[in-house]
Order: sequence, then C-alpha cells, then structure tokens
Amino acid sequence: MSFRILLTSAVALLPFVAPAVDRTKQPTPGAAPTAAFPDFKVRTLASGLRVIVIPDDRSPTVTLRLQLKAGSTVDGGSGLSGFTASLLNRGTAKLDAAAFAKAIDSIGAQLNGGASADSMSVSTSGLTKFTDRLLELFADALVNPVFPADELAKEQKRSLSSIAAGKKQPGTLAGNLMGRVIFGEHPYGKFSTEDSVKAVTRDAIVAFHKTWIVPNNASLVIVGDVEPDAIVAKVEKAFAAWESRPTPPLAPLPPPPKMSGLTVHLVDRPESVQSSIIVCQPAPARNFPDLPEVNVMNSTLGGGFSGRLFQNLREKHGYTYGSSCAFNYYAQGGYFQATADARNEVTAPAIKEILNEIGRIRTEPIPAEELELQRQYNVGNYLLSLESASRVAGRVQDIELYGLPADFYKTYATRMSAVTPDSAQKLAQKYLSTENTAIVVVGKAETVKPELEKIGKVVVYDTELNVVK
Amino acid sequence: MLKTLFLALALVATSHAQETKSAIKPLAFTEYDLPNGLHVILHENHAAPVVSTYVLYHVGSKNERPDRTGFAHFFEHLMFEGSENIPRSRIDKLISGAGGNLNASTSFDVTDYFFNLPQNQLALALWIESERMLHNRIDETGVETQRQVVKEERRMRYDNQPYGSLFEQLCKMVFAGTSYEWTPIGSTQYIDQAQIGEFREFWKTYYMPNNATLVIAGDFKTEDAKKLIADYFGDIPKGTAPKRPVVKLTPPKKPVLVEVKEAKTPLPAAMHAWVACPETDPDAVALDLLADILASGRSSRLYRRLVDKEQAAVAAQAFPVLFESAGLIGVFATGNRGVTLEKLDQLIDEEVEKVKAEGVTEDEFTKALNGKEDELARDNSQMSARARNLARARLTWGKTSEVNGELNRYLAVKREDLKRVANKYLIKEQTYRLHYPVAEAPAK
Repeated sequence: MSFRILLTSAVALLPFVAPAVDRTKQPTPGAAPTAAFPDFKVRTLASGLRVIVIPDDRSPTVTLRLQLKAGSTVDGGSGLSGFTASLLNRGTAKLDAAAFAKAIDSIGAQLNGGASADSMSVSTSGLTKFTDRLLELFADALVNPVFPADELAKEQKRSLSSIAAGKKQPGTLAGNLMGRVIFGEHPYGKFSTEDSVKAVTRDAIVAFHKTWIVPNNASLVIVGDVEPDAIVAKVEKAFAAWESRPTPPLAPLPPPPKMSGLTVHLVDRPESVQSSIIVCQPAPARNFPDLPEVNVMNSTLGGGFSGRLFQNLREKHGYTYGSSCAFNYYAQGGYFQATADARNEVTAPAIKEILNEIGRIRTEPIPAEELELQRQYNVGNYLLSLESASRVAGRVQDIELYGLPADFYKTYATRMSAVTPDSAQKLAQKYLSTENTAIVVVGKAETVKPELEKIGKVVVYDTELNVVK
Repeated sequence: MLKTLFLALALVATSHAQETKSAIKPLAFTEYDLPNGLHVILHENHAAPVVSTYVLYHVGSKNERPDRTGFAHFFEHLMFEGSENIPRSRIDKLISGAGGNLNASTSFDVTDYFFNLPQNQLALALWIESERMLHNRIDETGVETQRQVVKEERRMRYDNQPYGSLFEQLCKMVFAGTSYEWTPIGSTQYIDQAQIGEFREFWKTYYMPNNATLVIAGDFKTEDAKKLIADYFGDIPKGTAPKRPVVKLTPPKKPVLVEVKEAKTPLPAAMHAWVACPETDPDAVALDLLADILASGRSSRLYRRLVDKEQAAVAAQAFPVLFESAGLIGVFATGNRGVTLEKLDQLIDEEVEKVKAEGVTEDEFTKALNGKEDELARDNSQMSARARNLARARLTWGKTSEVNGELNRYLAVKREDLKRVANKYLIKEQTYRLHYPVAEAPAK
C-alpha cells in the first residue's frame, strides 16, 4: 500500500515540461541486437542415443523430447507409426494403462507420443522436483510397452470416430486432399481411413516397436532447469536397459508425381457457408540449398500481416479473415501452399488474386523498400523465436533429422539479410508456378463451381474424397 | 531500490508456497499511475534481447448494447487502421519492418493489444500505442473493409465448423438476460448495422488512459522506459470513468434442454452447464481443481468412465468459464459414433452425482494440485506471457502482485472444498443442457 503511494508521488515529481518527443515522426531505433543461435553439445551415449541439453532456468520444469526416424516414410503411410506412438503410454510390463495414466497424472506431468511424415516423437514434461520419477516413466514407456490388445481396440474405435468427424471438417478435408494431390502414392500423401485403421494389428505394432524404437535411431533433447552432466547421467541410468539394434535400410519410395497444368479439386460440402482454399504445388525437400532466402521471398508473398496476400485479399478486398502462404518441407519432398477462407460468392475472385500475386512476384522484382521490410521481419522474428528454448531444441533436432549443415542456424539470419530483389525474383521463378498448380477448394459446389470452371478444369469430390462423375 | 522493496513483498507473499518446495520464481516489477490515470507496469529482464508491450483496455463484449453485439471486437480491428500521425494500414508494416509481430484479442471483459519486438524498438511500440490511444483515426474505407473481414472471421471460426455454435448457444442459455449472453464475435446482423459514428463514440468512452494498463516486459532499462512513457503517453487527456454493466444471473427453476440441429455435426455431443461464480470469488480455484479431477488427463473420472471404460465418448472435458462479473461451469462430451445423447447424459449425470456424494480422494486432490503447479510453472517463461499475466493480475485483482500469488490461492483450497463447491453449483434441478445430434443415421 505505502509502496504504491511512494511510486505515485515519485512519478508526480518527474518534470513534465516541453514535449520531449516529436510524435509526428517514427522514432529512430538504436542498434539492432544480433540473433545468436546458442552453442549446443551433442553427447552420444554408449547405446548410440544422442542427447542434447539446453538449460533454461526460467521455470522449475523439465521437458524431454525424443525424436526417432520412424514416421510415415518407414511405415509406408499405413499409420502404424502413429498407433505405436499413441499406445506407448497405455501399459508397460510394470504398469497397466490405468496405473500408468495415474502415475503420470499424479505428479502433474504429461507424456505423449505422435508420429508425422519423417519422424516419431515422444515427449514428457513435468516439475523438476519430479525429474527422477518422470525419467523412470519415460524410459518405461519407451523400452517396456506391452501394447495391450484392448487398448489398441479402443484406440481404433476412437480413430474411426475421428475419421467420421474429419469428413465434416473443412480443414481436414482440404488437408487430406491436398496431400494426395501433391504426393500421390508416396506415404506423405496418405491419410487415415476406415480401412487403414482396421488393418492395424498388435503384432505389427510390436514388430514396429522392436525394429524402429531403438536408441541408435533417436535423438533426445532436454530443456529446463537442469544441470547438463547430472541430467545426462540420470538419462543414462534410466535407459540402461534400452538396447541398440541396427535399423533396416529405408525402402525406396515412389517419387511424388510431377504436377502439370492447373486443376481445381473441389470437395462438395453442401453445408459450407465459406470456401476453404489451398493453392498448392510441389516444393523441394528440407535440405535444399535456398531455404533461408526462400523464406524472405515467401513472406513477401504471404507471411504475416504485411505479406501481399493478406494486404490484397483481406485489407484491399475484404474477401477473407486471413490469407498467407508457406513452404512446408519434409525429408523427401515438400509443398508450397497459399490459403484463404472466403465466402461463397468471392471464392473464385479470391483464387484469382492468389494466382495474380504468385504471378507478380515471379515477373516483377520486389521494390527495395518492401524487401527491406521483409528482410527485417524475417531476421527480427527469428531473433524473437530464440527466446523459446523448446523452439531452439526443435531446430537442433531438425539439423540431425534432415541432414542440415551443422552451422545452418548460425548463418540463418545473415543469409536472410542478404536477399536482393534480383535473387528473390529468381527464387520465385524457380520455386513457384501459376501454370502448374493445384487448387483445392472445400465448399458448396452448387454455388461455387460455375465460377471455378472459368479458372481451370474442375474435378469434384464427395466428402469421402471420391471423384464424383 | 523500488524493485528490491517489491521483491521483499513478493517473497512474503510466496512464503506459503515455499513450504511445499515450490520453485516458481516470482516476477519482479515496478508500477505506477501517470497523472492521466494510465496504469504502468514494468518488468525489466535481460535474458533475451527482446521486448514485449501489452496494452489492456477494460472493455469487452459485455460493454456492448444488445443491438450492437460484436462491436468491441469489430472496433479492435479498427485500432490497426491508423492515427493522426500514422497513415492508414501502416501499423502492421511498421512493426513487421522493425522485425516484430503484433496482434490483439477481444473477450467478454477486456481487449488487449500486443507487440513483440527486438529490444531496440521499444520506442516504436510506445509511439504506436500512444498514437492510437491519443487520436486513433478511422475512415469509411476501413470500416467497410473490416466489416467484411469480421464477417469472414465469424464464418471461419464458427459458422463453418462443427460445434462452432457451441459457446454461443451456451452463453445464450446460461447468461440469458445479461450482457454475457452474446459472445465477442457478435451476430452478423449487428456487425452489418454498426456505424462509423458509433465507433468514434465507443473509442471516446472506453479507450481512455484511465481505462488502460500498459505493461512492458523484457530487455530495457526501467528509467529509460519511464521517460519514454511520460513523453508518449503523458499528454493523453484523462477521460470519464466508464460505467460497468451489472450482471445478475437467475438459475433456472427446472432443468433446461436445448437441441442444436446442424447438418455439419459429425458425432453426437452433449454439454451440461451450471451457473458458477465470478473469477475472483474464493470458490473459483476450488471449481477449477474440481474440473481437473473430473476431466484432465487419462486418469480423470470422466475420461476413465466415458472414454475408457464405457467407450461412449471420444473425449470429455470439464471447464469453468469465469468472467469478471459471472461464471459458469460446463462438462462437454463428444460421443463415439452411434452413441445416444441419452447415454452421454446418463454417464455425465452419474459422475457428477458421484463427486457430489463422495467428494474427491486425497490422491486426486494431490494430483490436481501438482497439475496446477506444473501448469503455472510454465506460464511465465516468455516476455509476452509475462506482460500479459502482469496486466491481467492487475485488472482482475486490482493488485499486480497477485501475478505471483496464483499458486497460493490453489494451495489454500482444502479437499473438502471440492465436495462443497460441487454441491453448491452442480445442482441437478438447475442444469442447462445442450444436445448436438448427428443429422444423418450413423454409418453402420
């Protein structure tokens, strides 16, 4: 109480004389801080497990994230990696599913697994005062899971319900169809179906676990209020029983199809009051040489509030709440997507504006002032992202997963700063197309199809994603 | 000096937590009012070369007229238009070009605006925030564009999504007759009717320094920030204190059921809800712990019963929604394919009645407190979150130091309190229910 009064009177004594700032002008900033990706050390344990510790004493918690090369490129898109990851916390040799859940919940912690295109990740986090117990449960889930048959059956039932729900969700429908259009028969293009869920067996999961969930196929990052040597010693002890085993070579996979021509893929969702639009095309794999520079070109086209897509589709035309674009990269390929959700009557105009903007960034050099804004935007936001220890940890794991140069994130900001109008235009011409592109739309076909036909050939799908004749 | 003094106060406040060996670090800050009533909170921290600014206005959808719902949120969009010294649609470019990012949000009680920037751009952030507080400028073009944008936002987030109407339906039912009965997005009809003159009036009424809190968190020197704040905000005139709506809820005399039939509903879903308390009520934390015991984690009661044992639901949630002047507590279950709504109702009823009759076990209680400690420990790691939490603590409790007192409020709850609040609020005869039936027959 007295504290507040003290402060208030202190402020009242500050001299309020002539206005000290000219508010008609943008203030001049001081020297910009430099983005410095932290140094990190990779320790390889005897089992082959690579461990990276990133100390962060801001909160009394610890997070461990294990990443394994065991995603869809390994399971062929069958969904086996996802089921294996989800069921790791549903019972071990020591604790059944209910007892395991109780053990994790009772210390207020989390432990979950999931799989994606190129990897599986299993994460756990909790208060540092429970570190020992957390490690014990984490190791138990990874090393001794029993994958009870009834837990698999429950997970399958829930998955079938989720699939049913997805057929009513515009985002799920659009994402699934886009994957198929871009990646074809490659596992990146597969998604869960009733058939794929029903085909999963316990035996296959047990075999998947035995083959792929091995320490020599994994990296572990630890972030939190921990002392590196001490936590690594604890990890080594907790995972002592985890045996290494050589993993089989990756089977060769069908390459993503080449995209030629412009096709509109329209999912008919009669109840839609708005169309979900994705203009998409293939992009290179994660380790291609131009990534930092492409970031700047991409954000000019459609990154954040100042990107051209947002400015054009939202701020100029009021077609949509948001429009943006991104390159998404995997180990064996990638895709570019520009998205917007636009009301039925402006669906076709919104697509035309996206195509116009893709065309413009290919044919016209970016004006110097706009490019400078975008370089600053990318470099500054990279600097801001380094505040998050878990973002840093994820990047460290990406370096290994995708085979990036060790100094990738050390040179990242400098490379983004060096993009010129000429280099950006060359990148746009190399990585973007207005002719060879797919346009996925989820919407009310009856209303939007006639206008879409003026843009290109339209293929109509039902919500099962079967082509409607 | 002042900071040291403050830290001492904070330590006194957290001594209770230390008995349980909590190591959550209290946030240090200094705070003061400008003569015009703007409340300033400064959290200086040099861990990373970043700075976050956060301006919280004490106005939200509950301040709207019933025939202008969605107005506070619509106006939030117009705060990005420009000012006397910043031309239209420059704000986002100024922040992007400075290497930062920005956004804003509108809720029932408050509207907030934030910038995250490299540390050398603090003056830019303060310039922009002071410009739009001193003389925000909106024109017809901006209003008409944002009218379309806001309607697209409504379609995208709510009208086009399965269960998108859930929260709207819930508030309409539980908060009927009060200004919490509509949600911040508002209705299309009233978004269409909003006039430019009304926006200017709204800004004059609510966007006054004495109705705002400014927080800066991150890599700056407190003395430098004070000078910049005095320079940029000192000459903004004080306004008249706005009137606050009074909210008085009447629980129903008998159970209420509303059925929401929508073609886009994929799985059957049931919501049970009750009138609860405002966010600062002493019962609030007990209700929160009760909700966690009911539905947080795989060992929670509703998960064990509905999802695991009976396999009737894909997911179950329990959550208090507590506002400044009223609150509700809800239980929501999304059924598996083919499960009837009656079955979901019955299972929810049984679990609710069970916790009312038996209370919670010691294990459950410890678990919920550990979960809360874990959650709170993660809450303050980044500067943007610190800025937000400091402002919210000040507005909610009238006392910024409550930002460091949250765990203590939970630790003050006794196990018996959970049984008490369950019986006080989850009254069977006063249950509101929402049903989302599946339009077609479920696939065989």
